[in-house]
Amino acid sequence: MAWLRTTTQKTAVLTGLLAGMVFCFGASVSLGTYSISLHEVVRAFIQFDPGLTEHILVIHTRFPRAVTAMLVGGSLGVSGVLTQALTRNPLASPSILGINSGAVFFAVLASSFAGNLPAEGVLWAAFAGAALSAVCVYILGSVGRDGLTPVKIVLAGSAITALFSSFTQGILVLSESGIRNTLSWLAGGIAGRDMKQQMMVVPYMAAGMLLALLLSVPVNILSSGDDVAKGLGQRTLLVKIMMGVSIILLAGSSVAAAGSISFVGLVVPHLSRNLVGQDHRWIIPYSAVLGAALLLCADILARFIVMPSEAPVGVMTALIGAPFFIYIARKGGKGRR
Amino acid sequence: MKITKIITGLMVLTVVLTGCTVSDKSKESAETETQLQSTETENAVKTAEASSSEQNDGGKRVIEHAMGTTEIEGTPLRVVTLFQGATDSALLLGVKPLGAVESWAEKPVYEYLRGQMDGVVNLGIETQPNLEEIIALKPDLIIASKVRHEKIYSQLNEIAPTVMVKEVYQWKDTLNICAKALNKEEEAEEFYAKWDEKTAYFKEKAADKIKDTKVAVIDFRADHARIVYTGFAATVLDDMGIERPESHKKAEWGVMLQSEEAIPQMEADLIFDQTNLNEAENVTNRDKWTSNPLWSNLTAVKNNQVYPVNSVFWNSGGGPQAAMQMLEEVYEFYGVE
Amino acid sequence: MKSLFKTAAAKGASAPKRKLLALAVLLAASYAVCVCAGSLILSPDTVLLGILGKSDSQVKMILETVRLPRATTAVLAGAALGVSGTLLQGTIRNPLAAPNVIGITGGGSLFAVLFLNYFPDGGTVFLSLASFLGALAAALLVYVLAFKKGVTPIRLILVGIGVSSVTSALTTLLLSKSKNAAVDKAYLWMVGSVYGADWNDVRLLLVWFSICFFFSMAYSRHMDVQGLGDEVAAGLGAHLQRHRAVIILLSAALSGGAAAVVGAIGFIGLIAPHMGRRLVGTEHIFLLPASALIGALILLVSDTVARTVFLPVDVPAGVFTAAIGAPFFIYQLYHSRNQSN
Repeated sequence: MAWLRTTTQKTAVLTGLLAGMVFCFGASVSLGTYSISLHEVVRAFIQFDPGLTEHILVIHTRFPRAVTAMLVGGSLGVSGVLTQALTRNPLASPSILGINSGAVFFAVLASSFAGNLPAEGVLWAAFAGAALSAVCVYILGSVGRDGLTPVKIVLAGSAITALFSSFTQGILVLSESGIRNTLSWLAGGIAGRDMKQQMMVVPYMAAGMLLALLLSVPVNILSSGDDVAKGLGQRTLLVKIMMGVSIILLAGSSVAAAGSISFVGLVVPHLSRNLVGQDHRWIIPYSAVLGAALLLCADILARFIVMPSEAPVGVMTALIGAPFFIYIARKGGKGRR
Repeated sequence: MKITKIITGLMVLTVVLTGCTVSDKSKESAETETQLQSTETENAVKTAEASSSEQNDGGKRVIEHAMGTTEIEGTPLRVVTLFQGATDSALLLGVKPLGAVESWAEKPVYEYLRGQMDGVVNLGIETQPNLEEIIALKPDLIIASKVRHEKIYSQLNEIAPTVMVKEVYQWKDTLNICAKALNKEEEAEEFYAKWDEKTAYFKEKAADKIKDTKVAVIDFRADHARIVYTGFAATVLDDMGIERPESHKKAEWGVMLQSEEAIPQMEADLIFDQTNLNEAENVTNRDKWTSNPLWSNLTAVKNNQVYPVNSVFWNSGGGPQAAMQMLEEVYEFYGVE
Repeated sequence: MKSLFKTAAAKGASAPKRKLLALAVLLAASYAVCVCAGSLILSPDTVLLGILGKSDSQVKMILETVRLPRATTAVLAGAALGVSGTLLQGTIRNPLAAPNVIGITGGGSLFAVLFLNYFPDGGTVFLSLASFLGALAAALLVYVLAFKKGVTPIRLILVGIGVSSVTSALTTLLLSKSKNAAVDKAYLWMVGSVYGADWNDVRLLLVWFSICFFFSMAYSRHMDVQGLGDEVAAGLGAHLQRHRAVIILLSAALSGGAAAVVGAIGFIGLIAPHMGRRLVGTEHIFLLPASALIGALILLVSDTVARTVFLPVDVPAGVFTAAIGAPFFIYQLYHSRNQSN
């Protein structure tokens, strides 16, 4: 099934992908309404000239933006892997399962009604929202005799997303700060985010990633089935909870940093699996790198598609990801059990 | 077979029904027009005389407005205004409305109008005025805007003769239609005379101060920033002979900037900042954008030529009194007596 | 059709019939109460006199121009949404299906926003037409994309979710570069509001709903059969794919028609069938009318509350239907705790 068979091949390609990601990073820094040559970019770091618009752009706007895209993309990719493994559903992702919308709702709630909350407060609100919607979706999807089927969980996620988005819109309308303010939250925006705020989420993202990497082997075992795993002595409940924690950390911080970005967590695991097969020790790192590269590219596209204005990056990922989702659905919609 | 019949049936019905509704509506407005056309020819002479601002009793007049024509008799005294500029204009012309929609800021009535609005009934928000309250007031004239109230035009017309202004921010259009409808064209002429006088005086006295100085008008919202191209404030500045940068002389009202990267687009010799400072989120966002080094690189910022102005007069007021207040502010700013 | 009624009668299914009657009475009573409510609270006899044309002109005007058309539109639109949701849930065999999940509402929103953007002077009639066409186009797209030797419920849902994400993304994209006024109107449309409904809207909805409802009832037996599962249904000789296509078309027509008048009001298509099922069971010949009545009730009450609670501000009804969604979901979660293992 996988394209790459041997460890050597996999390592080689991973390194290649890393290089590719760096390339995208560089492209993200230099392209945009103002195109800056890579030479100038490097000079901005070595010989910063505060009088040059280009240098200021690079250091204060482009670089933080690219860093955010990279971190968020990587987190979303990995959380997508775990979500799909946890629900045994290749069509799952944090956004489809409504985790994003719950996080957004709580974050908006926090920032609307507790305006002087320290930025950390918004972050924790996002985590709380992510956790709550995950639980809701799980319970809602389990309703009925046949338990948690892939289709039901997707539908439950859809319903929960609709619910939380309506609430979010409701709050934004009532709080009188204007409906337009929702765009950056609901559609995902990397532009114009405060670097300090972004840096705050990094420890949580790192924790989530680390946890995911540590869970690689347990997840492999779990994928063969609950009974098999239990038979092999694994504490499946603990593993599942840890996976949930990792997902919440990664998805929650992504939302806090960049609003609701969909489909990255869906598309990336599939690409990884096509490349390296079912071993999560490879899938997770691959997904991190691919996710970062994908979001960087989406962000670059977002800058060009409606010049001189900018599209929210969540729009780009949806436009790219949804057709992919439909394609997968047509191929084998029932999913692996 | 059955299916195809059903589908064809449904499609035919759609077309028929839509056709019916469309022709219904166009029949309605056509009827009003034909009815009035006979009156029109009768009163053609009277109307011509009235518009040359000699008459004071009005008689029957036909007012042409954004949604057709309406016949108005005499001098309406019981007036209802359904958008900010209309309220402003009516008060200027010496008519206190019975009911008006609430203001966007400084609710329920802008401070600059509060002294004139004693006892005026609040009709709710501009986008959805309360029809029952309007009925209860038994008005004999309703002034509304096509861009907001097109859907309820036929209902408004049933309550009282209704005139519609095309937009909400073009204060001269609003004033003209209000003057004609309220039979106060003399008062409007007086205002225009004063306006022309003041703008001409300004152009003369401040000539050397405004020569070759490009002025930009910006507005910070909670999650984006705006540059005004042809909005309310820009039209007033144009009247006063104040120049604006070439890149701001476009046909649209302005542009919404999502990313701080776009700050260089605000480049001008002088910047008027019409941000609504009563909304904390606007202020926070403004502080964020203005702490970006790109901001400090702007000519206006380097020369300390950035001035906050009253957002009600420059933006939300939308009427002649607001325009005059804005003019006075500009006068004061340039030190013209 | 005759055989359907005979069977229903033979089963002694008077209980659901009685419940339907009770619902209808409840609706009529609510209608009366809601028409009395507003800035000026009218007593029922005043309303009666007003309808008969015998009260003072102000009351007459309030009733005729504002309250009656608005309440009637709410009833009709709510009923249409309720039936639309029932149809969809019946053919997809999943109680969480709703027109907005399958992308139908999203298509309507996208076309509406497109229209507001590129034809700002187009007029509200064509706005309605645009959103209706959008709903149908989205339904068609979803169907075509989900078609692979037929359409299974699962594929339908998944493709629907994909399509609805695309329409939502495109709508957001458009909104981010629209003018002020267009954005306000677009958001109002997307939240959903019965404000400004007039007799034209009532006429349109009445005709449209009646026709679609008639066809839906004609399919009630087929829907019961489909509820048994695709293989069983095919085994029983049902023209499964053809029926599914028609049912989806009907559902889109109903929710598109409702949305054309009141915008994208959410949750009624989701909730009404659920409540209906708890009341009258799963036989569609009772479920369809029940969902219609319940949907009508929900929208009527929501709209009345929305326009009276914050006077003089007239809040869009869509905000309140979302607020109803919350208790519903909580209830569903609570209820399911006893069910799941």
